[in-house]
Amino acid sequence: MPERTTRPAPPEPLTRPQEDGPRTPDVERPNTKDLLERMKRVDPRQARRYRQRSGQ
Amino acid sequence: MDRLLGLETEYGLYIEGVSVGELTAEARRLVQTISSRAVWDYRGESPLQDVRGFRASRLTTHPQDEEIERQSRHARGPEPRSPREDHVDRLLRNGARFYHDHGHPEYSTPECRSLWDLLTHDRAGERIVWAAACRYRQETGRYVAVYKNNSDYHGMSYGCHENYLVRRDLPFERLMAGLLPFLVTRILYAGAGKVGCETGPEPGAKVYQLSQRAEFFDELASVDTLHRRPLINTRDEPHADPARWRRLHVICGDALMSEYAAALKVGATALVLGVLERGYGPPVELRDPIGAIKALARNPEGGWTVETREGETIPAVEVQRAYLLAAQELFEGRDRETDWVLREWARTLDDLEADPRKLSDRLDWAAKKALLDSFLESEGLEWETAPLELLQSLELEYHSLDPHRGLFWALQTEGVVKRILKEKEIERARQLPPRDTRAFLRGLCLQRFEVSAASWGRLSLKQGRRTVELDLTRCVDEAIDGRELPPDASLHDVVEWTRHLTDDAQARTRR
Repeated sequence: MPERTTRPAPPEPLTRPQEDGPRTPDVERPNTKDLLERMKRVDPRQARRYRQRSGQ
Repeated sequence: MDRLLGLETEYGLYIEGVSVGELTAEARRLVQTISSRAVWDYRGESPLQDVRGFRASRLTTHPQDEEIERQSRHARGPEPRSPREDHVDRLLRNGARFYHDHGHPEYSTPECRSLWDLLTHDRAGERIVWAAACRYRQETGRYVAVYKNNSDYHGMSYGCHENYLVRRDLPFERLMAGLLPFLVTRILYAGAGKVGCETGPEPGAKVYQLSQRAEFFDELASVDTLHRRPLINTRDEPHADPARWRRLHVICGDALMSEYAAALKVGATALVLGVLERGYGPPVELRDPIGAIKALARNPEGGWTVETREGETIPAVEVQRAYLLAAQELFEGRDRETDWVLREWARTLDDLEADPRKLSDRLDWAAKKALLDSFLESEGLEWETAPLELLQSLELEYHSLDPHRGLFWALQTEGVVKRILKEKEIERARQLPPRDTRAFLRGLCLQRFEVSAASWGRLSLKQGRRTVELDLTRCVDEAIDGRELPPDASLHDVVEWTRHLTDDAQARTRR
């Protein structure tokens, strides 16, 4: 079998400078009415009651 | 994906009025709402056998869970006399296994070769588990909720394990060295997201983590799964010819709701295994893989870095990109699934680098974060001032299997998260096994003949007064074609066909 080593490309800046300054990303935010109504109906104490056994 | 794949998911269970000490008995009862004629055959199981050549004396257990186990024994009566009695196994017509494990209903998909088949069967499994919960509710009158997640916010974790058949001639040390940097950095896209933290110096801190599971890992490699969990599980239980195959049992992944994220998690991992099998080495060695996965998980903002053994700090996305480049070099154009994984893997890495918020239509951790942010905004709340318990309760509901309550299902219905599976095929997978793996034989035999016992690698069939044993451990090398068997195949036809598949595998081994 061939012995090969994969190497990461040289690190680059994670955010590239933008000439016209930062812009709001094109992100779809889930703000539909039904979804938020469903969230309002969630029992705010259910996480406290939720107890499980340690699994694998 | 050119290898056998499987997913096994332990589901979280909440039953009104039932304490954690009573959950074991009730989880068993929930599984028992599904009938099964065949029993599970435990002869092929060896969870204590370590791939490094020894057998562990026992699995380490969580000290708190030992106390719960004592309560559970009291609640359910005498100690189970056998694994069969303890696990309450159900072998399903679609080739899957549904059983109880440590208070959790657990669903193992049938073995699949296609990524789409695997994800379709995983989604079918969610519906089978939820249907069992509904039957339990009808029988008992108790409110029941089932969650596809990995922790209970009180320090207890449970798993979603991935299984990949890997060539035995890839030395385990090379497999481990090659996988660690990949598994650590893949949580950037394979994390389910979590509110809060349960271990370490600040348990109870109000943070948002990329991963449900990352904080529960303390070792690099071991056979343990219940406590002091390892990033690489060394269980040696191939359910296939042990001279040729290992079953890589990946326990450090999150249970995912998003089809897209699950496809990326399993697809990228399968391709990386192919890269390693072809002799490639890892792109880097990490100084502290356990510390690194925890640190990556604690940063939902982006700009993720890891430290190499040489002390250099490099972008975590670049580690993934190195694996991607090797996979592209070797596998681009192989088939449509592979090309989908390569394309979407690249796109996801680009988006992680540019702006992770773009991934809220695809990745669970990003979708959940965007959902929580929207809720807080609509309620005029801030993350800093919102009660932790409320945020965790909302997060829990994201993972609910109940189609009328689960927040993920609402996101999917609204078209906010991408779908890649077909509804008709999910429903079909509730009844039928994949046609191109040995699961086809398991499903066929269960539907047509009297199966007295079954496991992943073996079937015991009754024929009059005699028992016919089918060894399926050699039917794993290549895709099989269930259409070769006539629709009215007799048991004799099935036995002959299985022998033919096994002979082919042996001939390939000799070559």
